[in-house]
Amino acid sequence: MNRMGFMAELERLLADMPEEERQAAVQYYADYFADAGEANEADVIRELGSPEKVAESIKADYYGTQFNEADYERKDYMEKYGQRSADGNIGGQAGPGAGSGRDRSGNGAGSADGGAGKSRPWTSNTLEIILIIAIAVVLWPVTLGIALAVFGIAAAVVCFFAALVITAVSIMIAGGCTVIVGLVAVAAVPSAALVAAGIGILLFVLGMAATVGTVKLCIIVYPAMLRGFVNLCRRPFYGKAV
Amino acid sequence: MVFNTGAALLDAIVLAVVSREDEGTYGYKITQDVRRVIDVSESTLYPVLRRLQKDECLEVYDRQFDGRNRRYYKVTSRGMAQLRLYKSEWKTYIQKINEIFEGGVTA
Repeated sequence: MNRMGFMAELERLLADMPEEERQAAVQYYADYFADAGEANEADVIRELGSPEKVAESIKADYYGTQFNEADYERKDYMEKYGQRSADGNIGGQAGPGAGSGRDRSGNGAGSADGGAGKSRPWTSNTLEIILIIAIAVVLWPVTLGIALAVFGIAAAVVCFFAALVITAVSIMIAGGCTVIVGLVAVAAVPSAALVAAGIGILLFVLGMAATVGTVKLCIIVYPAMLRGFVNLCRRPFYGKAV
Repeated sequence: MVFNTGAALLDAIVLAVVSREDEGTYGYKITQDVRRVIDVSESTLYPVLRRLQKDECLEVYDRQFDGRNRRYYKVTSRGMAQLRLYKSEWKTYIQKINEIFEGGVTA
């Protein structure tokens, strides 16, 4: 397309605008081509894109400012989130800012509405949950087994870390006892008592370090386990939006 | 450029570019000048110029050039006031941003 074709097409596309607006736009782009020079004609056309795009940019701005600002924003909003608005609660309460918020709650709202028995087909979410429950009931022996296995593994992990803590505390206590025994026996057998006390202090310190370490480990592991478990349970109901 | 240029900033840049020419300037040159600073497509500028003209921040007149009428844009007194407002707003804006970027945590 050359400059002549571009301008003719643009003029045609702006035919439904007021004469004054069309004249101004056509004059501007005619000037633009003339000032760019014939050598740059192809570049300008490439840069401008299509006459449709240029016409669209002119109209969007013209009607955007002519219309009531709020109406226009709402129109824009409805276009963007139209799918969701038609799906859920139609009404004025959802402003443009609420877009991302509704995004997340969409799943939950969908299933709740489905349960209320409105005269429209169930959302896929409702169906999904019912299916999952049905499958769980049919495969009861299997699901019970899996549930018990999960519970067993969780209990084992909890106990394992608890045992680590208890072991560390025990070492600490044993060290403390050895020190006390050594100090009591210091009058009877001084040399052996000192050795015992030394070993006891060493044990005590090691035990204390181990206690601190294992407790910290538990602080990390237990909440992570809980989170993982909760996520696992929520997954079937909320899809990926956990 | 990683930062978006919003409508107000684009208005401000266009006003500033046009205000540099006492005699006024024309569409192609305005586009080139603006594009030297920010990355906008060539079709972005016309709607901005038209809107500023309607808001009476710009005025247009035609002058003979090279055997044809060329449309010139000039900043009105209202446009100058608007530009001053934009400039002072911009100053506070970049000061605050710079404080965060360079001054660390602000009290």
